[in-house]
Amino acid sequence: MVVKRNKLEIIKDILNLINKNHNLIKYTPLLRQSNISSSRFKEYYIELLKKDFVKEVHQKREKFVSLTEKGFKFLEKYEVIVNFIEEFEL
Amino acid sequence: MPINHITGNAIMGKQMISQFASCGFMLEILYSFVIIVCSLMIYFGTKELYELSSHKGIKYFRLSFLFFAIAYFFRSFIKFVVIYFNIESIFNFSPKTFGILFGSATMFVFMYFSAMAIFYLLYSVMWKKLEKSPNKIYLFHFFAFIISLITIIFMNPFVYLWMNLLLLSCVIFIYYLSRKQSKVKKSKHNLHIIYTLLFSFWVLNIIDILIPTFFKTFQLFIYLASIFLFLLMLYKVIKKTGAN
Repeated sequence: MVVKRNKLEIIKDILNLINKNHNLIKYTPLLRQSNISSSRFKEYYIELLKKDFVKEVHQKREKFVSLTEKGFKFLEKYEVIVNFIEEFEL
Repeated sequence: MPINHITGNAIMGKQMISQFASCGFMLEILYSFVIIVCSLMIYFGTKELYELSSHKGIKYFRLSFLFFAIAYFFRSFIKFVVIYFNIESIFNFSPKTFGILFGSATMFVFMYFSAMAIFYLLYSVMWKKLEKSPNKIYLFHFFAFIISLITIIFMNPFVYLWMNLLLLSCVIFIYYLSRKQSKVKKSKHNLHIIYTLLFSFWVLNIIDILIPTFFKTFQLFIYLASIFLFLLMLYKVIKKTGAN
């Protein structure tokens, strides 16, 4: 049975994808690898930009997505957040 | 300054100190201080987790403890007034000696935040189920407002006692109903026991503040048990967040 990912998991997966690609990935491969529909991905992407988890980097006339310090912090604290939510049944 | 005046002031000061000491005023302040510090530590200790996750459960959980801190601040303030004016109950405040506005406003704020703290704690574990109707949170504010209003309008401890017991029964009933429907049938953390005790001791605390003579014998027990529960929550939060 396929388990539906929650919002935090999807964010973590997107940020992990960027991190695993040497912190520099183009928009389209990120969308493809994230395993969500393009409309949902767009929503998440805008949210990540707003929350300052990712930033857009322009290199050689191409647009890349990169993690910010806050994005790294999220990845670092992800397990703590999940354990906290589980502990207090939030 | 005349010597008589100085002597008079000194005697009054001594009388006040002994009055406070005999009423356990310092114990009250210490008790409130510990609870306020614990609540604020929980609130600030979870700040980073909320800022990173924007998780609604964490938001309501930490706000609940902020409300606990505000309510306990006003609780100790009311207790101070009760002890200072040497009166039997908060409902015995005479408008002439105390002032309608001062007493009612403090009481209203205390009741409002204490009710909100309990509602938010309940909502923090149930928000996913109630998310379809976002107006629920306004309903909590409305109920807290009504409870506070009834308290200051009637100024009758027994009306409030029954209202609070009814509220407690509702909160426990909703919480257990929610847990029964939950996929996670058995909690490994025994959080439901901690929450039930926290709700129950909160009611005892409110009765204690409204009718100080009601629990005279068990007052120390209520204080120690409440402190234990808050410290337990703080310990769990620190353990999980790694906050220092």
